Amino acid sequence: MAEKTINRELANVINVRLNRQLLYYIDICTRCGLCKDACHQYVATGDVTYLPAYRAELIRRVYKKYFTRTGRFMPSLIEGREPDDRLLDELYRTTYACTGCRRCMYYCPFSIDTTWLLGVAKAMLLEAGRGSPILTELAGAAVMKGENIDLFKDVILESLKDTEKEVQQITGDASAQIPVEKTGAQAMYVALAGTHTILPVAVIFHHARLDWTLSLFEAANYGYFLGDNKLAKTIADRIVDEAKRLQVTQIILSECGHAYRVMKFLYEAWAKEKLPFEVKGIVEVMHELVESGKIKLKKDSIAEAVTYHDPCQVGRNAGFYEEPRSLVKAVSRDYREMTPNREKNWCCGGGGGVVAEPAMDEFRLKTGMKKVEQIRATGARIVVSPCENCRLQLDGLNEKYNLNIKISSLMDLVADNLVAQK
Amino acid sequence: MAGVMVYVAIAVFLAGTAYKIYHWIRAPRSSVRLGMFPRPENSFGRGLKLIKDSIVFPQVLDNDRIMWFFVIMLHIVGLGTFIGHMRMLGEFAPLYNWLGKDGMDTLSYIGGGSAGLILLVAVLYLLFRRFKAPYRDISVPEDYLLLLLILLIIMLGDHLRFFAHFDVTDYQAYMKSLITFNPAFPAAIAESGARWVLASHVFTASLLAIYFPFSKLVHFIGSFAANLVRSD
Repeated sequence: MAEKTINRELANVINVRLNRQLLYYIDICTRCGLCKDACHQYVATGDVTYLPAYRAELIRRVYKKYFTRTGRFMPSLIEGREPDDRLLDELYRTTYACTGCRRCMYYCPFSIDTTWLLGVAKAMLLEAGRGSPILTELAGAAVMKGENIDLFKDVILESLKDTEKEVQQITGDASAQIPVEKTGAQAMYVALAGTHTILPVAVIFHHARLDWTLSLFEAANYGYFLGDNKLAKTIADRIVDEAKRLQVTQIILSECGHAYRVMKFLYEAWAKEKLPFEVKGIVEVMHELVESGKIKLKKDSIAEAVTYHDPCQVGRNAGFYEEPRSLVKAVSRDYREMTPNREKNWCCGGGGGVVAEPAMDEFRLKTGMKKVEQIRATGARIVVSPCENCRLQLDGLNEKYNLNIKISSLMDLVADNLVAQK
Repeated sequence: MAGVMVYVAIAVFLAGTAYKIYHWIRAPRSSVRLGMFPRPENSFGRGLKLIKDSIVFPQVLDNDRIMWFFVIMLHIVGLGTFIGHMRMLGEFAPLYNWLGKDGMDTLSYIGGGSAGLILLVAVLYLLFRRFKAPYRDISVPEDYLLLLLILLIIMLGDHLRFFAHFDVTDYQAYMKSLITFNPAFPAAIAESGARWVLASHVFTASLLAIYFPFSKLVHFIGSFAANLVRSD
């Protein structure tokens, strides 16, 4: 009896979360299975539990069993299921494996967003106390940093001094700075953990004479990967509050796909408020700086073959296809396109927080097979991609499959190929 | 008996469809824009994309050409068959004046006959496809049941087309009796052994209509709404 009540409560999590679009997804899937060729994880493993329709069907069967007439009277017709341990185990494995690339949505004749349905699955898993422990821990650490920023500040400022020196060396300008906590700056740049995401941007901004300040926080949001919107909002709040306090007119997010998605497309809906500043990605900012002539690139300076990997969160989910390409093409003599590309591009296999999970290492490198084939086919020696998760995955693929390539961020590519301003 | 069933079927189909739409719009819209890129710049572009995605299935063409062929066949020929049945309500005057009764009969024999065969092949393809992994593993009994029901309707319809030899005027008389709420087979049908085939055809089609809005077939309207989300 108790178990029955628990199951009903879990099923109710689905019901509460279902909005109009999700109801369409529940009702209209014909299980045609065309999404099988869209998912890199199914293609690489041949395991049906990774087929997008199968993953979504787990949610659909629970919902239908509890909340539809067919499910109540004839559950066998739709193979209705209870959210028992077996189902939750299966859901955990397949939901936290999803990289959220939404390629299956592109190829679905009804545009069913399986990732969004899996967001409901994550809510159900969290309700059952089965959220991913690693993502929970990482999200918790980010919240902790937000609450105790005064303890961290000195360490951060100290480590920035070395980076600042490097900026001065590179630019040849002893007055070059990495501004922090600068009230009234035009833009606040939100980096990722590690100075490799600060240094090139500081160089670029110095060249562009941009009035900026560096955020004390990282853009990454593990609460979003965990599927806990409240936690994800708390993590994003740190950046929003800082930007409000400093009264900047825009925030610029580093090369981090999901951070941009959270800030640009999700935050306002979560907070039910309009942000008093503009949200931009570093990809579009660099493109604008080149277009407006504020920075100049060394044309055709790279002789080796270069290719560009569209991160799912930068391409399909944010719409930057041509901006990064124009930057890469400008500095490369031999630019090669992957096939397929843009909205049809294969996911590298590292998104959705999968790279943060050591237990998933073997799986994610295996499911990067499609990306490996694509890169090999171009014969490129340098792969550029503006997403930290993609680059970590590409590094792993490079090592495992001996691709003999160099993986570069777009910021590094731009920073290394700047024409010195007079 | 089959007459009453038709009224029930039409009523349930319409009420069920209306309920389903109500069920959807009652739920709040997602507060997050769910669309993906590239997305059309204005609502005209969105409309065009919606029509293209919902009628031409470009994503399916890109992905699985054989499936695309049979799915297009099923939907377009299915729609054509539905329109063809309208002849029972009355002759389409411009076409009738041009072709005459014999011409119309020949047209419907060739058109309706080939449509019946194409539908048969398309549904058999979809059915046999489900027996194969991985489609078998994601199929539920509802999927087979619907395909078998549709297959049965098509086979009975094909039987009427190729073996029953009723005249269109007989069908028109039957249809008239349905519209005037006095359902009865005209003599030519009532005295034929094939009357059971017709009764079964009407019965199974009514069953399908009743189940239609409550099954995955509700995608006949839902797909338009869902495909609009793609460019949200």
